[in-house]
Amino acid sequence: MAKPQSTPVERAARLLDLVPFISTHQGISLTDLAQEFSLTESELLSDLNTLWMCGLPGYTPLELIDLDFESGYVSIRNAEVLQRVRLLTKQELVIILLGLDILGNSLAADRKDLQEGISQLISRIKKIVGNIATAMPIVDSSHRATISQALKSRKDLIIKYHSTIRDTLTERTITPLEISLDHGFEVLHAYCQSAAGFRTFRLENMKSVLISTSSVATPEMTELSEIESGFEWDLLIKSRFRTSSERFRAVYQARDSVVAERITVSSFSQDWLLRNAISTLASVEVLTPVSARALIAEKCRQSLELYETWGFPK
Amino acid sequence: MSRKTERLVNLTIALLATKRYITKSEIFRTVDGYEGADDSKERMFERDKDDLRNLGIEIEVGTFDPLFEDESGYRIKPENYQFQLGEVNAQEIALLSLAAEAWRGASMAPSALSALNKLHAIGIESDTELLLNFAPAIVSQDGNLAVAISAITSKTVLSFSYLSETLQRESRALEAYAVTSRYGHWYIFGNDLDRKALRVFRLDRISGDLKLQGRSGSYEIPSDVDVDSAFSKPSGLLKATLFLRDGRGLNLRNRGLELNGGKAPVGWQEYELEYRDHERFVEEVLWYGSDVIVSRPQALRDEIISHLKSGVVKYG
Repeated sequence: MAKPQSTPVERAARLLDLVPFISTHQGISLTDLAQEFSLTESELLSDLNTLWMCGLPGYTPLELIDLDFESGYVSIRNAEVLQRVRLLTKQELVIILLGLDILGNSLAADRKDLQEGISQLISRIKKIVGNIATAMPIVDSSHRATISQALKSRKDLIIKYHSTIRDTLTERTITPLEISLDHGFEVLHAYCQSAAGFRTFRLENMKSVLISTSSVATPEMTELSEIESGFEWDLLIKSRFRTSSERFRAVYQARDSVVAERITVSSFSQDWLLRNAISTLASVEVLTPVSARALIAEKCRQSLELYETWGFPK
Repeated sequence: MSRKTERLVNLTIALLATKRYITKSEIFRTVDGYEGADDSKERMFERDKDDLRNLGIEIEVGTFDPLFEDESGYRIKPENYQFQLGEVNAQEIALLSLAAEAWRGASMAPSALSALNKLHAIGIESDTELLLNFAPAIVSQDGNLAVAISAITSKTVLSFSYLSETLQRESRALEAYAVTSRYGHWYIFGNDLDRKALRVFRLDRISGDLKLQGRSGSYEIPSDVDVDSAFSKPSGLLKATLFLRDGRGLNLRNRGLELNGGKAPVGWQEYELEYRDHERFVEEVLWYGSDVIVSRPQALRDEIISHLKSGVVKYG
């Protein structure tokens, strides 16, 4: 968790938290302590040196906190007043509440034991902060854990994947490479053994994730950008600016006028662009490429044919 | 450089250690770090109190003897300083840690880290089996989320500009009641002071920064507030019947109810669905192209057909 330079107040808070932590971890190495508090060793030493000057009024050796860290291992005495673990701030309680809700809502039904533990903690926290935060996860916590384990142990995964672009559910064997974010959604970059190529999978669309017992060699990773570019379309958005931009995952900003706006969108999947174009027929016009316009017209005709000539009763 | 830090720690120690209220003049005399003229000491002390309060450390003000108008004194009650979730066991520590870990790398990582430090300081080994099998994650990078949460916990009105469907900025003032994450997006729910009604705002549709406006504690959150209700199905949902091609329209299948009346052609199934937003539903049906055909109502069917015809005219 990288963090910017701390303010004097943030530092004071950290010093207050260092005391109980060292008290329950007497003899911890400077390295481990720095890691726990996400500090460099020199930042930690500066913290310890400051703490060493603190204590009860009087500030004689009798009243000062007694810290020993010259050996590279840290121990603390004479800090009884600060020994209690500090209370969680409301902000901290809320983020824990949200984390617990995400965890609880993605547990399998067979983990009743945990479900109960989570509900109890949630109600204890809500008593303090109120019912002010809830979260429904879109990704199953155990799926993410399985993927992390596979990445660590370099194992393949067998996933059931719902491709929303293809509108299909398929089972694939994949070699996971890296989890990252795409437009705020978690995706797994992987080599898909089934498709024999590099693919990106959205975690929320994985219906099941299992570690494979066999492992297949993966070709060298090609440049990700190579697979990610692809198709570029020019659009004219005429109405429903916000929704239409969101559909095409285009960045949007406040604008002064409400006249039509020309934007460029891109995707590795022409099919996805095509579906979005048909979906937004009423508010968006695809300007180029011309081939795309022909494809959209063709799709419209196919649907109309079903409506007009087939035996679909009304 | 670290004088301020040191003074805050020393003040906390002094106020925690005392069994009685100690006066400001006692503090200035005995706590290390208060220097300079009287009024600058006063200002220092006022700032320090605010800073500690922002860390969640509540300083109590009282007098020695309620019968006499003594100079008021200060103290921190140990029970208001310490970890407030009571006794926790190994499983609970693991669950709380997992919940905080979920924010690793997200917008509220610093708060998550300090929460973790405190949980670990309790000194109970957590149940590590749990930590391996679950990896909850919250991926929000939106700095406005932290502001929204602090507005709610401090009950301070939020002001912001919200982007309308035409991407015009609309100024809003909100008494925020709750935040929630749904469908991969964050929402704030509260009392819209201009519209005088409960409203939900999607965080990523806010243009610029959320701003705290006015004083803290300026409103109450109703005790029966239920953010989930803002997302549950309202009455008066719209209904449609669709034909779905074999194995297609997976999301629609999951949401809908299959009708077994036998009206669907071979290779198709008939489903009934409920929806809330008409325009969105039209777009959703069109998204599936020739794999989803509207059966009823006639008005929806006609609307889809007219969009498709306009598509042929425009692109043909």
